[in-house]
Amino acid sequence: MLTGSADPGVLAAGAATMKRFDVEPLRLEGVETLQVFCETRRADAEAFLPPALHPTLPPALTWTAQRVSESPWGPFSMAHCRIECRSGLRQRGFLRGGFIDNPEAAAGLSEGWGYALSPGQVDLQAGYHETRLKVEASGAEVLDLSLEDPAVLRPQDTHFVASMNLAHTPNGLRLVQVEAEFEVERAERGRPQLRAFDAEGWHCPGLEPTHPVAALLARGAVTLPALRFVCRPDVLAFAGSEKVA
Amino acid sequence: MKFGIFFELSVPRPFTPEGEHQVFMNALEQARLADELGFSTVWAVEHHFLEEYSHSSAPELFLTAVAAQTSQIRVGHGAVVCVPEINHPIRVAERAAFLDQVSGGRLEFGTARSSTWTEIGGFGADPDATKKDWDEFVHVLPRMWTEEFFAYEGRCFSMPERAVLPKPLQQPHPPLWVTVTSPGTELDAADRGLGCLGVATAGFAEQERRTREYHRRIQLCDPAGAVVNDRVSTLNFLYCHEDARVGGERGMAMMGHFGLMNAHLLFTREAYPSTAYQSLGNLAPSPRASSTPSPGEGPKLPEGMCLGDPQHIIQAIKHWESIGVDEVNFMLNAAEVLPQDQVLESLRLFAREVMPAF
Repeated sequence: MLTGSADPGVLAAGAATMKRFDVEPLRLEGVETLQVFCETRRADAEAFLPPALHPTLPPALTWTAQRVSESPWGPFSMAHCRIECRSGLRQRGFLRGGFIDNPEAAAGLSEGWGYALSPGQVDLQAGYHETRLKVEASGAEVLDLSLEDPAVLRPQDTHFVASMNLAHTPNGLRLVQVEAEFEVERAERGRPQLRAFDAEGWHCPGLEPTHPVAALLARGAVTLPALRFVCRPDVLAFAGSEKVA
Repeated sequence: MKFGIFFELSVPRPFTPEGEHQVFMNALEQARLADELGFSTVWAVEHHFLEEYSHSSAPELFLTAVAAQTSQIRVGHGAVVCVPEINHPIRVAERAAFLDQVSGGRLEFGTARSSTWTEIGGFGADPDATKKDWDEFVHVLPRMWTEEFFAYEGRCFSMPERAVLPKPLQQPHPPLWVTVTSPGTELDAADRGLGCLGVATAGFAEQERRTREYHRRIQLCDPAGAVVNDRVSTLNFLYCHEDARVGGERGMAMMGHFGLMNAHLLFTREAYPSTAYQSLGNLAPSPRASSTPSPGEGPKLPEGMCLGDPQHIIQAIKHWESIGVDEVNFMLNAAEVLPQDQVLESLRLFAREVMPAF
């Protein structure tokens, strides 16, 4: 089986820090989520994943942006980029980089669930003819994409994959498994249009999106769960998984 | 109860031309032995681009070789991907009829629509249309085989009047099947009078429910072909050894590796959310739904798997028989995890100790 070849020590440079695992679940109401699935070049996938994870065939990434109107930290918008992968038999997405516009939310997501997100402007505008996502950091555009020609889907047609977020934890450097729960009320699928992507800005230097596949817009509640498992990044999941709850 | 063997033709890394050749030659040797031992059918899947998991991209050629090297065993072309971007329906009809001719009327014809984005995306097919494509294929293929001249104006393809040649040797045409991976497809099979070719290993309760629904529904079918095929087959793994512990351990190694390869496929639903793909279409046997999806949770032995000693396997098959399964198709290896001599010995032991019980 193919496995990731990235050095966990190098990946750790941008990792979040978590002091504890016993975070309470957090339910966020009225969240707009845009998820865009895109194939990437074959050579990229293994280089961006730690040895614990397997790339998909073909390799792929997702961009996910969320606009949250209410939270304990106030409204916020965030966007992140993940490499799609497998952890053992499970579908997962390995978080590579992201941006968020609310410092308190950034701290809460980092400490609670291992999200390493940088300050940035995340502008998600959902319309009837298109949904546009623009992300800027330090005054520079790092992402510009859209969902075009939206068509309604049933909520049960949507599919979301859990995240593996690399973080410094009480157990050491670990992949934190975040199985966010989506209660989708409305969903649309459309044609993805990628206009700009600064791979370096997302901690993915050299990553080359090649074939945008589908864009999904979902509205509904999202629950960030209690944590149950973490995994060592340097060995396969069958050997490196640890129960934390 | 009939017994078949089922080939994915999975190839271990690193890929070499010699490695692929060895996998194909081993499979042919297994097919020859299965023919001698009285197995009913050799099935070969159609998959594209599925590295390691399946290198069976031209199963009709593999099955032609099987037919040429055997005398009795039937050849299961299954399942052919019934999506026009992957297979034009005229070519499907021609190839299948040809295979039926050269095999001496031994063709079983399976139909499917593919569940992976790897394949559908690779051919640029429209995921929203594959169910409709499949439905159109299963209705026109029997007509191409049975009508002297055929013309068609349809949704996924059209053609002016032509003689589609050759015609199958079996009359009116070979038995038709549809692969069943997602719950509900058994009803599609029943409504069209197609055999239920189980390719995802369900547990006893789920298989019993599917079989019961299928047999109830097929009584009311509007057959897509000229003849109804009302058989139900299920997929299983086979490793038979006189020592139950050895049989279980080696069998689990094979099955677990297959499950791992299967889990690494990129399913259509994951890449392209669509009403047409309501489940992943995952082919691997799954243990009971887990409430703790740990990344460290490895494959577990699902109920009814034919891995162990002959007595264990007889009991498992008796259970499948009791819930209405007519045929069990066995995967014999996965990416050559088991040495060829062990696979052949397992087949022989099965034929000697298990087959007489049915």
